[in-house]
Amino acid sequence: MILYDAVKDREYKIEGLYVEPGITRRLQALGLNDGTKIYVLNRKKRGAMIIKVRGTRLALGKHISSNIEVSEVVNTEEAETRKDG
Amino acid sequence: MKSVNRRHIRVACIGNPNCGKTTLFNALTGSKLKVANWPGVTVERMEGEASYEDTDITLIDTPGIYSLTSYTIEEKVTRKCAMDDDIDVIINVVDASSLERNLYLTFQLLELGKPIVLALNMMDVVKERGMEIDLHRLPEMLGDIPVVPVSAARRSGLDILLHAVIHHYEEGGGKKGVLGEKIEYILEYPQEIEEKIAKLEVMMGAHFPTHSSVRWHAIKLLEDDEEVKQEHPISVVNIVDRSYEKEIIQCKYAYIEKVVNEVLFHKNKKAASTDKIDRILTHPIWGIPVFLLIMCLVFFLTFSVGDALKGVFESALTAFSDLVGKGLDSAGVSAVLKSLIVEGIIAGVGGILTFIPNIFILFLALAILEDSGYMSRVAYVMDSLMGRFGLSGKAFLPMILGFGCTVPAIMATRALETEHDRRKTMLLTPFMSCSARLPIYVLFSEMFFPKYAALMAFSMYVIGMIIAIIVALIMNLPEKGKSTNSLLIELPEYKHPNARTIRIYVWNKLKDYLTKAGTTIFIASVIIWFLLNFGCKGMISEPGDSFAAVIGRLLVPILAPAGLGMWQIGVALLSGISAKEVVVSSFAVLFGVANANSAAGMKMIAENIHNVNPEFGALNAFCLMIFCLLYVPCVATVATVRKESKSRLFTLKMIVLQLFLAWLVSTLVYQIGSLLL
Repeated sequence: MILYDAVKDREYKIEGLYVEPGITRRLQALGLNDGTKIYVLNRKKRGAMIIKVRGTRLALGKHISSNIEVSEVVNTEEAETRKDG
Repeated sequence: MKSVNRRHIRVACIGNPNCGKTTLFNALTGSKLKVANWPGVTVERMEGEASYEDTDITLIDTPGIYSLTSYTIEEKVTRKCAMDDDIDVIINVVDASSLERNLYLTFQLLELGKPIVLALNMMDVVKERGMEIDLHRLPEMLGDIPVVPVSAARRSGLDILLHAVIHHYEEGGGKKGVLGEKIEYILEYPQEIEEKIAKLEVMMGAHFPTHSSVRWHAIKLLEDDEEVKQEHPISVVNIVDRSYEKEIIQCKYAYIEKVVNEVLFHKNKKAASTDKIDRILTHPIWGIPVFLLIMCLVFFLTFSVGDALKGVFESALTAFSDLVGKGLDSAGVSAVLKSLIVEGIIAGVGGILTFIPNIFILFLALAILEDSGYMSRVAYVMDSLMGRFGLSGKAFLPMILGFGCTVPAIMATRALETEHDRRKTMLLTPFMSCSARLPIYVLFSEMFFPKYAALMAFSMYVIGMIIAIIVALIMNLPEKGKSTNSLLIELPEYKHPNARTIRIYVWNKLKDYLTKAGTTIFIASVIIWFLLNFGCKGMISEPGDSFAAVIGRLLVPILAPAGLGMWQIGVALLSGISAKEVVVSSFAVLFGVANANSAAGMKMIAENIHNVNPEFGALNAFCLMIFCLLYVPCVATVATVRKESKSRLFTLKMIVLQLFLAWLVSTLVYQIGSLLL
């Protein structure tokens, strides 16, 4: 699934970045790589979302979130701790 | 004079955006650079001086970056500074509350092989959130570089930091990476990559024997870095068969995860209060209304409280003007000089000074908004709306700054990803009414709409935004569907605005305003006074014969359809290009009023305008306000746009657009208004 379809308050794992090379590099420098876990803090119905990754919050536009492949992390307990961290 | 045995070193502050570099820089140098709690505030490198014992230190503040790559303007500026052979020591400023992300840049800097001191900033936030950092283990895992906990905001740990910098410099810290010398790096890549790095190091050493930071260059070649490749045209195809950037980044982060796991404790102890605040401020539905409410409050305070304080300034100015007038009379100064001083300078410059309360409150509010961390949320909240105009929410930030002053707002467009977005934002930003236009609105709305003055002044802000939206929509037509919305911004922790930071911010703005009053507005007032009091026949008594009238009359035919067909207005608008406040000071000089902003002064201007042109009424005044809102902001803005866009043609197009729009909209309003009223 793509990150754009992600649901608020759940945790996901990045499977691949498919944005333009320039933006991909930025995302990678911010710590978004294959296998990185991210937590969706907030999102609008259509549009931007706020994620938490490696202890920082990032706002991502639709274009970026539509080009990040993710899979949901099912372990809810872990998701809780991620959120707090 | 510096004593001979003092030595001098150069130190660069490098770190992520918003990690407190500038606050630290200000604290160390006693300088007063602007700080805000959102990324992209420092756009150029800045230098300042500090000293510790027998060492003079030149500190260099750099734009915040996440990585030593070269894809953005900020990264290029900072990378160049970090690579500079002049730099003796690098202070890597790290936001301790966001250690994991910040350490990524640290490991890139470590690969440079220069002496590095880690300044662990925001330790108070770490404590507040119940976290603990093992300060013994952290330096070990970074290859034994000095790690100094500091609080830039509370100015603690600063001496220890400077001491560590000098000590590290004396010890020759850092790893020069001289060829043939086996150096242990704390972070090692998988064997395949390490072998390639070793081969590249040998090649680099052979081709560029004087180079420092050999390992760093080798890694950058492996990452397929364009700039490094261009600067080192050596054939490496047999080694660099593809970009290893992804693996290198992943490797760094994998090691950082290890570091964080070992040194950071209780990271889950307390949920950040920021998330709770964000539940409201970035709410999918309430986000925008809350933002609008905040902006309304800002403008309400600016007009209401500002006006209440204005009275004090007015009476002071009137008293001062009278005093000077009497003093000059008793000193027997000639009438010409008295006229120049009282009607030219005091009227022109003094009139501007009475608006200080309004401007003070506007900047105070903006400073609090910026320092609290709310600004980057605005980018998120406004993203969907901006997306309709083909811009990302980030483009909204320069526009809010535009309410303060257009010049820094234009510079802030650097934070935008593409040149296309930058130019578009540069075109839209001047429609956000800057503080220099505030005096015009206040003066004319109080003169012609006494009952609804605040509302009329506020309407200018709304009209400016509506025009910006229309222009953005039209510009977006040809590219509809093509533009990609790629908002990417860090949302920092909310914090209590720091009193010192706010004081510096507001004082800087007020100082700019005062400087402008003392320079641009002073000169413009003198020129206008001259043009008004002299004509082809020398000094004249009838303003209608003055040079100003001759120039102003040229503009009358053009301005007449907009209801502005008076030569005085032509002169005021023309002079207003030097700085928008000059429109007000021009009116003061044109109508010989010492204090345009006082009740008596306003009455006098209104009477004089009525005498010159009995038909000039509320509608004309409204059109004048609109014209001032939309036409060329000021020479400083034009120069900044020229510099930032690097295009004369673009700048010229912008000026033509602004003049045309100002004329078109005010003409439309006047013509339609005349029919209705």
